[in-house]
Amino acid sequence: MEIKLNGQEYEAYPGESILDLCRREKVPLPTLCYHQAFGGQGVCRMCMVEVAEPGQKEARLVAACTYPLNTSVEINTESERIKRIRKTIIMLLARRANDHPLLEKLADDYGAPRLSEIIVQPPDCILCGLCVHACEEMGKSAIWSMFRGIDKRIATPYDEASEDCIGCAACARICPTQAISYSEKGSVRTIWNKDFALAACMRCGKYYATQEELLYLQEHGDYGQENLCESCRKKTLAINMKNFT
Amino acid sequence: MTANLEQNDRQIVLVCCGTGCTANGAREVFQNFQTKLKDHPEIEVQPIIKATGCNGWCEKGPLVRMMPRDITYCSVAAKDVDEIVEKTLLNGVLIKRLLYRDPVSKQQLTTHHMTDFYRKQHKIALRNIGEIDPGEINDFIERGGYQALKKALQGMRPGELIDEIKASGLRGRGGGGFPTGRKWQACSEARGETKYIICNGDEGDPGAFMDRSILEGDPHTVIEGMILGAYAVGAAHGYIYVRDEYDLAVQYLGKALKDARKNGYLGNKILDSEFSFDIEIIRGGGAFVCGEETALIASIEGRIGEPRDKYVFPTEKGLWGKPTIINNVETWANIPVIIREGAEEFAAIGTEASKGTKVFSLVGKVVNTGLVEVPMGTTLREIIYEIGGGVLKKRAFKAVQTGGPSGGCIPAELLDLPVDFDSLTQAGSMMGSGGLIVMDDHTCMVEVARYYVNFLAEESCGKCTPCREGIRALLEILTNICRGQGRIEDLQLMEDICLTMQEASLCALGRTAPNPVLSTLRYFRDEYIEHIENQFCPAGVCRELTTFFIDPEKCTGCTLCIKYCSVDAITGEKKQVHVIDENTCIRCGECYRICTFDAIKLARREHYGN
Repeated sequence: MEIKLNGQEYEAYPGESILDLCRREKVPLPTLCYHQAFGGQGVCRMCMVEVAEPGQKEARLVAACTYPLNTSVEINTESERIKRIRKTIIMLLARRANDHPLLEKLADDYGAPRLSEIIVQPPDCILCGLCVHACEEMGKSAIWSMFRGIDKRIATPYDEASEDCIGCAACARICPTQAISYSEKGSVRTIWNKDFALAACMRCGKYYATQEELLYLQEHGDYGQENLCESCRKKTLAINMKNFT
Repeated sequence: MTANLEQNDRQIVLVCCGTGCTANGAREVFQNFQTKLKDHPEIEVQPIIKATGCNGWCEKGPLVRMMPRDITYCSVAAKDVDEIVEKTLLNGVLIKRLLYRDPVSKQQLTTHHMTDFYRKQHKIALRNIGEIDPGEINDFIERGGYQALKKALQGMRPGELIDEIKASGLRGRGGGGFPTGRKWQACSEARGETKYIICNGDEGDPGAFMDRSILEGDPHTVIEGMILGAYAVGAAHGYIYVRDEYDLAVQYLGKALKDARKNGYLGNKILDSEFSFDIEIIRGGGAFVCGEETALIASIEGRIGEPRDKYVFPTEKGLWGKPTIINNVETWANIPVIIREGAEEFAAIGTEASKGTKVFSLVGKVVNTGLVEVPMGTTLREIIYEIGGGVLKKRAFKAVQTGGPSGGCIPAELLDLPVDFDSLTQAGSMMGSGGLIVMDDHTCMVEVARYYVNFLAEESCGKCTPCREGIRALLEILTNICRGQGRIEDLQLMEDICLTMQEASLCALGRTAPNPVLSTLRYFRDEYIEHIENQFCPAGVCRELTTFFIDPEKCTGCTLCIKYCSVDAITGEKKQVHVIDENTCIRCGECYRICTFDAIKLARREHYGN
């Protein structure tokens, strides 16, 4: 399927999103709530683009991450209108994560004016929803957004230590603004108001995952007999492959 | 029912038991009638008492209507029942004080059908409300109920049904105004064996109650509409999503579904045809945003009620990913009439692009409040002045807010605007679900915008950035302006934010959320500037900017304001000029609103006393 993107012709797969096409063809498009593992959420609205659909007089504003390409359309990702929209969105969003380098840079790129800072929980959270997605993909859904409107925030149920949380910290690692904090002191990891005992790597002795996480993985598939940290696992794999050849 | 009654010459007492009348004691009135008439075994003509749905004339409730003479009594109290039975029912004597007094002609009218409030209406969706007992399927059938279903199942192909709806020009009554026939066609053409029908009864607009009245007063019409829709697209399951607060609606709907199944209108092999369809009631969780169709679908599926981008419509991928038709209560209520009477008759009503009638809930500073059903294209002036009886206390009309919290405020110069989907949108407001809130000259338009934005701040789902953060910023700015801390450049900033919200928000709630701000900025910009530059609220509403004083020339010393002042800030003897103590005054404005001599004056707060 032929797609015209910023004046150039591209080939798109039917049903793929505009953002998928842009990423593949290395056409820059800013996003804050997108991760290739989950597909588009349509949350941050940074990837708004103009689309001229066949038979329509006016170009339509759509979120590139959720708009599926099914007909030959013309896309503009950098019109003045789009730049203005992004500028306002950054202006509104940057207040949640004041001084965070990611939003600072975007604000500079688009010349977004600064509004007064607001206090949000957890600090710097821009409510992109990636952590919720990550936790859901892990099969736990220990965190979710609570409340709605301007009070919306990410939390465990009733802000208490969640029974479902396995302390894997996938939420913290995927967070674009490092808003989810966790600490590791010796063999204890603390995240979302809950302490987890860490397991040591059987080879090098480094603490690398929570006991709950390892148990959960064992219950859900064969992950090998040995509990190894990431680098030891790579080394073992390399040795095995060498022996195999 | 009415016909039967005339044949049998029996008396029927109809007590409106809608939510409004019930709140005013209609149930007691109803029970008193029941008990009282048991005490009169000697009465040959035994009146039948029926609890009906909402008459829409809630202002005057509880309403009691007596047939066959068609006498209507307003504001009936439980203690009036004895007198009504003795005088009117047994002896045919009218009780004058209970009759409606026309505010214009000062005449007392025996039947509510003679009042302007009813006479100027054209009822389709509300045709049975107040006429039948919603718990009684036979009442509905006697008034032509389920005839459309028979007609369809016995002689129309599904495609013909869709063509009929298309020809009628019916557009969705829930707010979007999407052509219903086209929606049905898309769903009918969508691939998939399983399809769903949904009735959206998550009525969340403050002051709107048309869906509630239909569900409470005529549940079968919605059910019949849904069965017809299901037959047209080939669906076997339907859901009615009702907001949790509508307890009475759920009760009546539950009974209606049971009765419909018992009578063969619902369930397996409907009316002995090959077509089967059943309906389930889902109670909402109380979020305004769940009125948005994709959020509603998410809610039925058990997920958080958040919308999704609608680049693929629910008619293709809806509930559980299957093709789904979702229409609002009022839309469904129109369907049986269109099928029964034919599309042509329906299309003859209304304007070129908006056919049929629309139910409005007329509330605010207007003489007659209640539900009003008028042909599309009726002007705001007709609705507010002829049906609504004009602004309360003959005050000056300032604006009418249409379309719910994310609608806009329309000023006096546009009173002759014909009300239809497109004209309202052009005027910077919207049809929405049909709320009409009338505002008088004691209304501060900046505060009105702040009020609605505050509502939306609580009720936006908070999923997408422009809506959530845009509303937050607008609320901050509007609050500042109301407190005298606004800056003139804030107006431009608000317009920029509003524009991005309209362009980039995920769902219609976010895209329309700026309407209260943009429409007031468009029509009442002076008021904003007055707040910002002169630190003055011309309507005397914003407390930080206002102070009140008594004009000694005009004060007659009637002491009315003294009685109304809740903090005893006003002093003065009878027939002598009163004085407001500024230090005690909390600036609630009550005295300003009730003074009949225009003696209470406004001033800028800091200037007063200087």
